[in-house]
Order: sequence, then structure tokens, then C-alpha cells
Amino acid sequence: MSTHKYLCMYRGAPSQNKPSPAQMQEMFAAFNGWKDTFKANILDIGSKLKPSGKVLTASGVTDGPFAEAKEVVAGFMIIAADDYEGAVAVVKAMPTMQMPGACVEIREMASF
Amino acid sequence: MRGNPGDGVLLTAASGLVDHFFRREYGRLVAILTRKVGVRHVDLVEDAVQTTLMNALTSWVAKGLPEDPGAWLYRVAHNHLVGTLRNDAGRLRILEGAANESTVAADHPVSPRFHDEVRDDLLRMLFVCCDEGIPRDSRLVLALKTLCGFSTAEIALRLFLSEANVLKRLGRAREHLREVPPDFDSLPLQALQSRLASVHVVLYLLFNEGYLSAQSDRTVRREMCDEAIRLTTLLAKHPVGATPETFALLALMYLHGARLTARLDGMGGLLLLEEQDRSLWDREQMGLGAEWLQRAASGETFTRFHAEAGIAAEHAFAPSFAQTRWKEIADLYAMLDRIAPSPLNAMNRAVAVAEWQGPEAGLAVLKAIEPPPWLLGYYLWDAVLGELHRRAGHTEEARRYIEQALASAPTDAERELLRRRLASLGSL
Repeated sequence: MSTHKYLCMYRGAPSQNKPSPAQMQEMFAAFNGWKDTFKANILDIGSKLKPSGKVLTASGVTDGPFAEAKEVVAGFMIIAADDYEGAVAVVKAMPTMQMPGACVEIREMASF
Repeated sequence: MRGNPGDGVLLTAASGLVDHFFRREYGRLVAILTRKVGVRHVDLVEDAVQTTLMNALTSWVAKGLPEDPGAWLYRVAHNHLVGTLRNDAGRLRILEGAANESTVAADHPVSPRFHDEVRDDLLRMLFVCCDEGIPRDSRLVLALKTLCGFSTAEIALRLFLSEANVLKRLGRAREHLREVPPDFDSLPLQALQSRLASVHVVLYLLFNEGYLSAQSDRTVRREMCDEAIRLTTLLAKHPVGATPETFALLALMYLHGARLTARLDGMGGLLLLEEQDRSLWDREQMGLGAEWLQRAASGETFTRFHAEAGIAAEHAFAPSFAQTRWKEIADLYAMLDRIAPSPLNAMNRAVAVAEWQGPEAGLAVLKAIEPPPWLLGYYLWDAVLGELHRRAGHTEEARRYIEQALASAPTDAERELLRRRLASLGSL
């Protein structure tokens, strides 16, 4: 049983390319295959995030996020793995990683 | 992928969805929603459906398939579309002075469950695509996009066009549809029957793009033929299209379609009828072709589709190449030529006559044609002349014509076929 948890954050603006219905069907099958292969690793498949939000600081609330588009977190997921190598393997096999410009940040969650 | 392409019932193990589910749902949703909000909003409908399918992809991967995926899609697409129309409503009202958008908002998004209802909407969309006001070369492209759910890139690949050209054709079609007045949408389907001839042409083109295409990918070709058969079956089973001409068109699709697989060798190359393995012909499709041909013969009408289906039937039911009834085929080509005159019919008749009465008789048929300039540069014309001269033992003429054909043949598969002919000439 993998004991380390990793937060995976999809970076970048939502992709502008429009897959065709036939391509979507292929992607759907590929995703399900990936989910099945790594079902022991995927703790929370997470979600996409809507593009805008709020940023709170000590001085108040503003609309955000204001980081550059390519740094905006567009979605997240939580996985379990023994080490970074294992976590990278799970994410690397994800169908979205085959798309140009795909970028995922993986951070181990510290356990207290 | 056997049987009736109208109802996909094969489950793909990996996804739990039937084959072509997303593509079919695209066509179904576009047809139903266009019916609801009006032809002039078809762009908005397509956008809503595209977005909905993308949302489905994400949501279903995360949460698994909903109990009724079709109903889920309909609800989400409907709500998305209503939202878009509401946002635009103020502007639309000012622009058009029409305010029937509110009827959409009041509607409950319950997916049509009855097969008949969906079928009516699909057929209506087909008749919309065949509007006489849409340029001829835009109609097929629009049908492939809206009814079959192909993307512009996929259409370009299938029709051997550039993507820019596909977009241009779609643009012209949409330009026209934006101007379709709202009262068009309340017309009963039967009122569109005057477009039936245009519908037949589009379906015939759709089939031929699959059957005669230079595209070497077998599944891509099969898919186009299946789409044509699916839509023509819908038409043939509905009062608006149940005419002997539609039946004959469907018969010819089944009878040709039955032989599609055997037409291609393992490498995607073309095989001559003579070389095809007849045991590969699809008996089930042949049976369906025969049934529809019989129904087509019920009236007094004899159309070009009747002649073409008759020819296809002669080939399909001949026990062997040698036992083919070439005289009947030659006669059918003569009838076809009277209905739809073209020197190509005479050319095909010459081939049948050559099988029936020998190559010199075939050459005599060709000599009687005064070929128009476009035919002289057409590789099949040269190829047929070359072949008949070859059989008649006129080696020199044969070589000249086959070389001419080789120079203008459009695909590798056809060039390869001609090279084989040329090689056999060398051994004479």
C-alpha cells in the first residue's frame, strides 16, 4: 500500500483545441483504461477549476487569480504513490499528458 | 460492424458506450435542438452540443456513466443553449423583432424518448441540409458536420479537400441558414418533400465518397458507406421519403456495400471484380439489397437509381465472374444512359459488351462515342481503351493508352493496378 500522498495540479489555461466527437470517444476509452490501471493510486480524481476566483490577503479580497495564464491552476487530483518516481509514472500515463502544452505540477503532501 | 448500421448495439468494452456514441449523439442532439430553437440558430446549437460532449467526457471519467447518458446529454445541452439564447435574447429581439425565445426557456428539458420523434428531427435536419438555397457543394459538407458529427478536419480527410475549403463551404451554408425565417420551423416535415431529389443526391454522394474514394483506410470508407445507409434507411422508412426512388437508392447502397471489403486487398490496393474473393461478399447486406430492390420495383417509376441498383444486383448475384449476365448489364447501362445521359455510361456498357461479345464489340461501342474533351483526359477512359485493345491483341495501342492512363491516374492504388496491366503486356 502506497503511503505517500501527492497533490497534482494542472497548470495552464484550458485547452482551446476542440476534439471531434470521434476523438472524444477515444479519449473517454483511454481515460477509463488509465483509471482502471491506476485505481489503487487515484485517491481523489479531483476536478477542473473554474477560471476565476477570489484571492484573500491580510488587506482584503480581490478577484483572481492574477498569475500569468500559464501558471493558473486549472484543475487538481490527489494520488498515492511510494515515491515521486511512482507519482510521475501515474501522471505520465494520463491521456491528457499526450496533448501539446500539457503541464502538471506534482507536490508531495506533508503528513503531520 | 455488421447488420443494420442504423442501430449501433455493440458495446465497446473499454468505455461501456456503443460504437460511435459521441458522434451519433452529436447528430441526434443537433437535430433535436435545432428543431426546438430554429434553423437560424444552428451555430449556437452546435456550440452547445460540442461543449456538452466535452463536459460529459470530464464528468463521466470522474463520476462514471450516468444511468441514461443520452438523457444527461440532452439536459445539459438544452440548458446550456437556453442560457446562451437568454443572454442574447435582448439583442436578438432588437435585431429581429421576434421574441419566440421565451418558448424555449419555458420548455422542460426532457430528452425525447420516442424513436419516432428523434427520427423525424434527424430527417428534418437532412432536409435542412438539402435546402436549394444552400450552394450545392456545401450541402454534403453540412450534412457530414451536423448529422454525422464529423469535425472539419475529418470531413477534409474524407472528401480530399483542404480544411480551409471545408470551412468555406460550411460558412456559405450557415450564411444561408441564418436567414431562414422562423416560420420555416413550424412547417410539417411533409412540406419539405419537394427537396427529396436534392436529398437523394446528397445521400448518393455520401455513399460514393465512401465507396469510390481514393482514401485507402478501409474503416474510414466503410464508415462513410454506413452513414449513407443509416440515413437512407431512416428516409425509406418514413412517409416523407418512402418512394420507389429512395428504395432503389438504398438497394444500390447495400448491393455495392456488400462488396466493399472484397474490393480492397490487404494493403488498401484495389482489386478488379474478376480478382475479388466472392466469399468475402456480405450475404446479409446482399439480402437487404435484394429486399429493397424488390420494393423499389413496386411502382411504375424507373429512375437512375433503379438502373444502378439493377447493375449492382447483377454483379452481386452472379455465381462467378464468368457466369455474370453481361447482356443484362449492357442493357441496364443503355437504360441508365437514356435517363441520365453521360458518356461514362457508354464506357461502362462497352466493358460489359466486351465481356459478352468480345473485345472488338466493346471497342465498337467506344468508337461510337464522341468523347467530350474532359473525357479524353480522364484516366479511366484511357484505361478502358487500353484494356480492350490489350484483350484484342493490339499491343501497341494497348501500351499507348495504358501509359496515358498511368500518367493521369489519381491514386497509388489505381497506378499499381495499371502497372500490373502494363507488365502483363510485356509478356505477350
